[in-house]
Amino acid sequence: MLRRVLAWAAAALIGAALGVGSAWATLEFGRASFVEHYGSWAHSRAAGSQAAGPYTRAIIARDGLLALSAREALYFTLSEDDQGRPLDESCVYELSGAPLATRWWSVTLYADDNYLVRNSDHAGAIDVSRIGADAVWSVRVSPVRGNAPHWLSSRGAGRNFSLTLRVYNPHRDFAPSAEALPRLTTISCAGEA
Amino acid sequence: MSWGKYVTGALLIAVVTHTVCIYAAPRLMMNVAIERIGAAGFNTWRLADRVTPASRQIVRPSPDFAYSACAYDLSHGPVAISAAAWEPYWSLSLYAANSDNFYVIDDREAHYGAGITLIRRGARAPDGAETVVQSPSQRGIALIRRLAPTPAQYSAAADVSRRDVCASLASVAG
Repeated sequence: MLRRVLAWAAAALIGAALGVGSAWATLEFGRASFVEHYGSWAHSRAAGSQAAGPYTRAIIARDGLLALSAREALYFTLSEDDQGRPLDESCVYELSGAPLATRWWSVTLYADDNYLVRNSDHAGAIDVSRIGADAVWSVRVSPVRGNAPHWLSSRGAGRNFSLTLRVYNPHRDFAPSAEALPRLTTISCAGEA
Repeated sequence: MSWGKYVTGALLIAVVTHTVCIYAAPRLMMNVAIERIGAAGFNTWRLADRVTPASRQIVRPSPDFAYSACAYDLSHGPVAISAAAWEPYWSLSLYAANSDNFYVIDDREAHYGAGITLIRRGARAPDGAETVVQSPSQRGIALIRRLAPTPAQYSAAADVSRRDVCASLASVAG
């Protein structure tokens, strides 16, 4: 009798663990299937999309709870430089691009913990209103500003920081591609010859 | 001892647990958000503090916006929701308890702001209500985003947000 009870208890535990594990794995793999890559930028179609079923809804909730609909905004994230290396505070980068076919855009720098970097530089984000909508532009991403006209401060960001490009009210002809999106170039890194 | 029935039982429990997890995950996440926003009361707007490097409430916060959130509850009938206009961009989004974004309007469609009457799906709309939106759930979240990337713009957006309405029509009538 006791053996039978223990066997059923073990079956229930194993079943529950399998269920939770397979749900987690499904969301993890499913999430990857929503990600598109444009050069070094990654874009998740999950954020702001319409749920077509319970799996899609769970993935959307996990990746973009309360996100704006895709009609309103598109989000792109960059966490590697042009050589595929993680972004590092000890490096100086240049983010440059052509005008984007959208009503408004911004770029925000996040530390590895996914929050704004704790520094007092007031340079954690930059937007088109400060850069200008009609010309080729560039922004220095570095711990100190130097003589850069536009600057995103990485001071205190350490290693593995990332950039998020938000494109609001994209025009109908906005077509994301490695060429159309801004390009990040490594200028120098401390300790390199 | 035959192991077949235990294996079958474990697989059945796995399928049920898997399905419950997938269905429950978005509802649980939304419930946390609804409870957090509605902690000091439902059917009222709350303006979030400006996003700064000290902000730690949500991951990857956008410093571009002034956010106003209202946790709505339709258990006492329709809720009136309005958003005052704002330059250069604003939007009003509604999210159901299962996380679906079931309604959005922005300044391209509503130049002078938006005003809606929110009712439970299938309920009768109040007489005279113009723009009626049906919520798939009794509770949910309304969110206004106003583009305000500088402290001065945030402060101006905060002033404008005082004209927003999120109120149960029962309490308005009472």
